[in-house]
Amino acid sequence: MSALRIGLLLGWRQIQRANIWTTSLIIFVMMLTFLNLIVVSGVLVGLIAGAERAVKAESLGDIVISELDGEDRILETEALVRAIETYDEIQNYSVRYQGSAILEANYKERRNLAAERDIANATVTGIDPAQEDAMSGLSDNLIAGEYLNPDEEGYILIGYYYLEENAEQFGDIFDTLSNIAPGVPVRLTAGDVSKEFIVKGIVQSKVDEVSLNTYIPEREFRRLFGRLNPDADQIVIRVAKPEQDSTVQRGLIASGFADYAKIQLYEEAKPKFITDIKNTMNLLGTFIGSIGIVVASITIFIIIFINAISRRQQIGILKGIGIERRAIEIAYVIQAAFYALLGSALGALLTYGFLIGFFERNPIKFPFSDGILVAPPEETFIRFVVLFVITLVAGFVPAWLIVKQNTLNSILGRK
Amino acid sequence: MAIIEAQSIHRRFGEGDLVAHILKGINIKIEPGEFVAIMGKSGAGKSTLMYQLSVLDTPSEGSVIIDDVDVASLEEHERTSFRLRTLGYIFQNYALVPDLSARENVMLPLLMKNLSWQEAKQVAGTAIDSVGLQGKYENLPAELSGGEQQRVAIARAIAGKPKIIFADEPTANLDSVSGKQVIDLLTELHRSHQHTIVMVTHEREYATNCTRIVDMEDGRIVSDVPN
Ligand SMILES: Nc1ncnc2c1ncn2[C@@H]1O[C@H](COP(=O)(O)OP(=O)(O)OP(=O)(O)O)[C@@H](O)[C@H]1O
Ligand SMILES: [Mg+2]
Repeated sequence: MSALRIGLLLGWRQIQRANIWTTSLIIFVMMLTFLNLIVVSGVLVGLIAGAERAVKAESLGDIVISELDGEDRILETEALVRAIETYDEIQNYSVRYQGSAILEANYKERRNLAAERDIANATVTGIDPAQEDAMSGLSDNLIAGEYLNPDEEGYILIGYYYLEENAEQFGDIFDTLSNIAPGVPVRLTAGDVSKEFIVKGIVQSKVDEVSLNTYIPEREFRRLFGRLNPDADQIVIRVAKPEQDSTVQRGLIASGFADYAKIQLYEEAKPKFITDIKNTMNLLGTFIGSIGIVVASITIFIIIFINAISRRQQIGILKGIGIERRAIEIAYVIQAAFYALLGSALGALLTYGFLIGFFERNPIKFPFSDGILVAPPEETFIRFVVLFVITLVAGFVPAWLIVKQNTLNSILGRK
Repeated sequence: MAIIEAQSIHRRFGEGDLVAHILKGINIKIEPGEFVAIMGKSGAGKSTLMYQLSVLDTPSEGSVIIDDVDVASLEEHERTSFRLRTLGYIFQNYALVPDLSARENVMLPLLMKNLSWQEAKQVAGTAIDSVGLQGKYENLPAELSGGEQQRVAIARAIAGKPKIIFADEPTANLDSVSGKQVIDLLTELHRSHQHTIVMVTHEREYATNCTRIVDMEDGRIVSDVPN
């Protein structure tokens, strides 16, 4: 107790009388260490989080309903949709039909019947255009042409990956079509049924489910694929407030719909690899950050060592007049704590006061994602505690090394 | 009943052929209330003897009993605590903590003794007053003259009311006027409070007020007479 008081007094006075520039520099180093620890992994994780956020906004929403294992479709779709309509918590939803068909272009210009046809295996999604747009903002993803008009028939939206001019960007891994532009006719063939559509628009997104897709109105989809029964393949739901997702999920399950379809929250429905990559990124960021911690702890070690060794005689005299070793060690640990606390506080202020908002407004542009900065406070706190404890140890060890030296030798400056 | 009793203490440094035999069998008894001056030529072993008597060093041979405690038997932390409670030190080079004010320097051992902050402050203030430095409580050591710093060091040594005060050439770094002041102060402390004081000094003049003069030569006491 008395050792703590003396330690505080000695440590705090040393901080007060220290050179302000040196102190600022040390605190700056600690702040960089904190940022390195939080921001590097935050940006790496943010790349994936940005991608996930886009998937949630433009494709899957908060709740994803799909067919049960062993079934082809969502059973009792009409009853389910009626139930969905009754929830005030649900802001938007979209019922989707999905199938795969052969998409063909340039067939009218083809003179030589022996030449290869311009075809691609395409995913086709049947939607209610207005409903889908409200749900996923599909029309915002148009890069050419116009969005589907609810009263028109015979029009299609094509994802931009199916355009030949974009093929090499992706190493030619998808089938593509040439000369696709709004107004051009294309043909969809599902089984024996073929139908011509006019390209109404081209959609592009960082979400592959949009860019590698084609959209036609639901009625035409069901005709083309011979789906007389209205059971759909996917229903996606957006709730008004994020925390309402599980309320709605529980409600739908309580109404017995779990017998007809799989009702999952986004977190449950998202592909597992996303979580895996996120964890990997986090680990990578932590590893990079740990190097920073090592550097910072060596810095603190050296600073405290030099500080203590230059006061070796004074330390000897303090012990000579009866001050416990513990008190003197505390004086140095307090200085290390001060640097770590202030550096981290500044780093946290910068992270939460500026950087997160900055990346929100100016995301890092990646082909597959708009990267943001992810720094959950609990995780930041844990990392801060690690940094703090390591700094304390880095301050304690050199103090301990010097304080434990023989008292008289310290006083007299002997070896 | 002697407060310090040293019996045939030897102090050697080094090992083998290089061993230096510095103290060669010292016997000394000091009674409470004595003001002892240890004198002798440079290198005679005065400081070395004082370190043995003040629990800063351990003799190679012999025993030191202070206030009925055989100090050789103490663990390191017990020695620290013993020094805090029983001894006061005045070092040659003032030895104040440069970051602390005069009063905080004096407060250190008091806080270590578990006095409350307010008590320590008050006792330290009184001690500083008694060495004639009223109004200099808040000065940093660098803002005091050498003589004043040494007087703060004396205040620190006496504030905790130790049983014995050790001073190793407390005037060595001072001009003659400040040196005289420091000696007068020690004399006054001895006179008014019956402090036991052991002081090493070169100058015979500074020893005039001592009650006893011990002369050393080459690691031995060659004369020990009342003054
Ligand atoms: N650690 C040590 N190792 C070897 N020799 C030492 C050591 N400490 C002291 N000595 C020697 O012991 C002798 C006595 O030293 P001491 O400091 O006691 O002398 P002193 O009488 O106080 O002299 P001064 O008046 O100059 O202070 C000196 O010759 C010194 O070199
Ligand atoms: Mg000496």
